[in-house]
Amino acid sequence: MKPTGFIIPVLLGVTWEVVVQSGLATGRLMPPPSHLLHSAIGLAASGELWTHVAATMTRIGLGFLFGAAAGTACGVLAGASGLALRLLDPSIQALRAIPSLAWVPLFILWLGIFETSKLALIAMGVFFPVYLGVLSAIQGVDRKLIEVGRVFGLSSTGIALRITGPAVLPSWFAALRTGLGLGFMFVVAAELMGASEGLGYMLLDGQQMGRADTILVAMIVFALLGKACDSILVAISIPLLRWQDTVRASL
Amino acid sequence: MTNLAIDHIGKTYADGTEALRDIQVHAAEGEIVAILGGSGCGKTTLLRLVAGLDTPSIGAISVGGQKIAGTHPAISAVFQEPRLLPWLKVGANIAFGGQRLDPTERDRRASALMERIGLSGYDHRWPRDLSGGQSQRVAIARALIGHPGVLLLDEPFSALDPFTRASLHELVLGLWKELKPTILMVTHDVDEAVTLADRIVVMKPRPGRVHESIQVDIPRPRDKLSSAFELMKRRVMRAIDRSLADDRPAGPRAFGPGGTSPWL
Ligand SMILES: Nc1ncnc2c1ncn2[C@@H]1O[C@H](COP(=O)(O)OP(=O)(O)O)[C@@H](O)[C@H]1O
Ligand SMILES: [Mg+2]
Repeated sequence: MKPTGFIIPVLLGVTWEVVVQSGLATGRLMPPPSHLLHSAIGLAASGELWTHVAATMTRIGLGFLFGAAAGTACGVLAGASGLALRLLDPSIQALRAIPSLAWVPLFILWLGIFETSKLALIAMGVFFPVYLGVLSAIQGVDRKLIEVGRVFGLSSTGIALRITGPAVLPSWFAALRTGLGLGFMFVVAAELMGASEGLGYMLLDGQQMGRADTILVAMIVFALLGKACDSILVAISIPLLRWQDTVRASL
Repeated sequence: MTNLAIDHIGKTYADGTEALRDIQVHAAEGEIVAILGGSGCGKTTLLRLVAGLDTPSIGAISVGGQKIAGTHPAISAVFQEPRLLPWLKVGANIAFGGQRLDPTERDRRASALMERIGLSGYDHRWPRDLSGGQSQRVAIARALIGHPGVLLLDEPFSALDPFTRASLHELVLGLWKELKPTILMVTHDVDEAVTLADRIVVMKPRPGRVHESIQVDIPRPRDKLSSAFELMKRRVMRAIDRSLADDRPAGPRAFGPGGTSPWL
């Protein structure tokens, strides 16, 4: 963010701090920055925050892994074979029409209230964008480059690995980033539906205890974790996508 | 050994378009044959058939006396666009043409070719950093690294400015002298055909057929300002006029001998 981007949030924070410190408002429902910092330090020092972060990150990590792997596998399969496309794609598109959160009761019924149903929900959130991204990227690979592979004697495996693979890499990373964003959305939903730890649980706990500061700390940690995970994906992709003009432009 | 025989080839696309009818073109080993015709004559179709990227509806293609089906190790191509792989650096793009070579030999030839095409020091650049002419040079190097017996050129110079085009003509002729591939090239440019070819095959459209084959017996290096060159160009243009006139079975002839040719 450019320095100018910080002006409004800092101004708002400082104003609110002054208003609360001077006793014009209690800040009970909207704690000032100093109060939030204090709560965050307290939660971190007691270790409570880290337990919640670890629980949430484990869920995100596993759910993302399963969802991304399944989405990539199905996308590659449907992109590689016309038969697989005709068999798989209609069903996947039909399932996609169901709002994902509508699955929650069924997942709980099938998989129980604990971890498995949460992972299933997160994985599903990740699955669809990754599947769609991979499939459309494979379908969109420039035929002309595939012909180059054929003229120079590549087998179909060679073409898949040396032409299609690199060609879909940018879209794959874009799809993974979208999937990760949805994973974060669904981890909140999963943890709100019943959990004893996790940042989503912290949100719910803060609400029940009337602690706006706990809620806000959890929200800020969510934002930081989401941004950090996205940055990790981008960092992994940069050396692989250096050939793209846009990588340079986005740096 | 690597003469090319296109025998009675016809191609009708799935949508019913008859792109080629009874094409008969032979190229001797090391000969440069130019296929000349306006757009829609089926020139690209013909090269795609020889490259094995599409199959003829009828007829046969042979290399060195052997009938071929599909892509063939002895046949290489430069397309109308450079078609470099954007994720490979320039050096790796050239090396890509030498799939069948062992890595040491491939690297040796790649760096020799980089030098030859005037791009030494560019091996770690990305294709996106090259100009159109440089890209097409790389595509030519990629097509020749495997020392193909037959090189196909599908109007690879048509998108370039005249200066760049002339320097690429020189490059192709130079490399041809060293490696002596049989070249089947497609163009709509009379000047280009007379500059490069040993023989010019004039095509006529709808469906694409061979109209006339003209031997270009001007010794190389060819002087574009010489009267022999001018005469040959005129001869080719007259052949084009005739092919267009033939193509007009009814109605008044728009241009005939002595008329105004759209090619002038
Ligand atoms: N894949 C295709 N399907 C149907 N018709 C095609 C296809 N490719 C080319 N054609 C048609 O075949 C004819 C010859 O095309 P082309 O070989 O590209 O000519 P040129 O390269 O001489 O301009 C044109 O009428 C074109 O529309
Ligand atoms: Mg063409």
